[in-house]
Amino acid sequence: MSPRRLLLTWGLLLGVLAIEVGASFLPIGRPARPLLLLPALLMVGMVAAIFMQIGRGPTVVRLFAAAGLLWLLILLALGSLDPLTRIVYPVPAMERATPAANPP
Amino acid sequence: MSDAALPHAFQYESARHQARTAIAGMWLFLASEVLFFGVLFLSWIVCRHWNQAGFDAGARQTALAIGTLNTVILITSSAFYTAGVAFIEASNTRRLIQCCALAWVLGLAFLILKFGIEWHEDLARHLFPGPRFAITGELRTGAQLFFVFYFVATALHGLHLLAGLGLVGWIIRRAGRGEFSAQYSTPVAVVGLYWSFVDMVWIVLFPLIYLIGRGP
Repeated sequence: MSPRRLLLTWGLLLGVLAIEVGASFLPIGRPARPLLLLPALLMVGMVAAIFMQIGRGPTVVRLFAAAGLLWLLILLALGSLDPLTRIVYPVPAMERATPAANPP
Repeated sequence: MSDAALPHAFQYESARHQARTAIAGMWLFLASEVLFFGVLFLSWIVCRHWNQAGFDAGARQTALAIGTLNTVILITSSAFYTAGVAFIEASNTRRLIQCCALAWVLGLAFLILKFGIEWHEDLARHLFPGPRFAITGELRTGAQLFFVFYFVATALHGLHLLAGLGLVGWIIRRAGRGEFSAQYSTPVAVVGLYWSFVDMVWIVLFPLIYLIGRGP
């Protein structure tokens, strides 16, 4: 890897970091604030592509990386699906309060 | 020297085959590490979803300056190590050692800032979850959940960084004995993958801990 490419990547990473930190001071609503992860994901891609040279290794390397990403997405999607979408949580106290809603 | 003539273990057909297998093996390990840290990220999603105000109140107590400086330190450390890999591929052992030493020192600086200063201040300000937790009122539960995430995530990342420091030190020692060259530098490349992965994990943890909960 050429020193110029490495320096450029380092500078870009710090630039994206500065944008990320700067954006955190913008008046973004609480539900939308996880969008601040987008610059971080860009930085992760840059580290994988340039520092870890994912494109240079054997094909199985990219397969393992893709598998890791896929399983992470499955973990996050399945794990958060119920907590993020459920709106009614029956709890013992509620059951006692509304016995008709829980037929034997 | 042809590739087949280079020394390699009996189960590989060539040194190149051995090197490619080692690199693929490290990537497979890193894929399992993604799932290890994935559970932490999932806990962040669930805990923040149910306790947004308290969780963000906790995040606002973190030291943004130290967190940002630590991110710069780890990115720079990773860049130095990558430069070292490029130098050994050109058979420049002296430069490899210099780059690895700089990467090692920066890794140590991260640990000192994180655990020697930041954690120390957090504990002094009673931000460790428990009966003496500093934040009171209705935000207390969410803020405590945030600090459970904060301490667990930073401790696990710190342990990985500590292991990385050991590995980089091992590379420096072996390079000092002249064990690496343009023909054989597989351990340097494999440790570099791990070192950059630790950097990557921090790049994701940084906004989760310091930025997302820090509204204007």
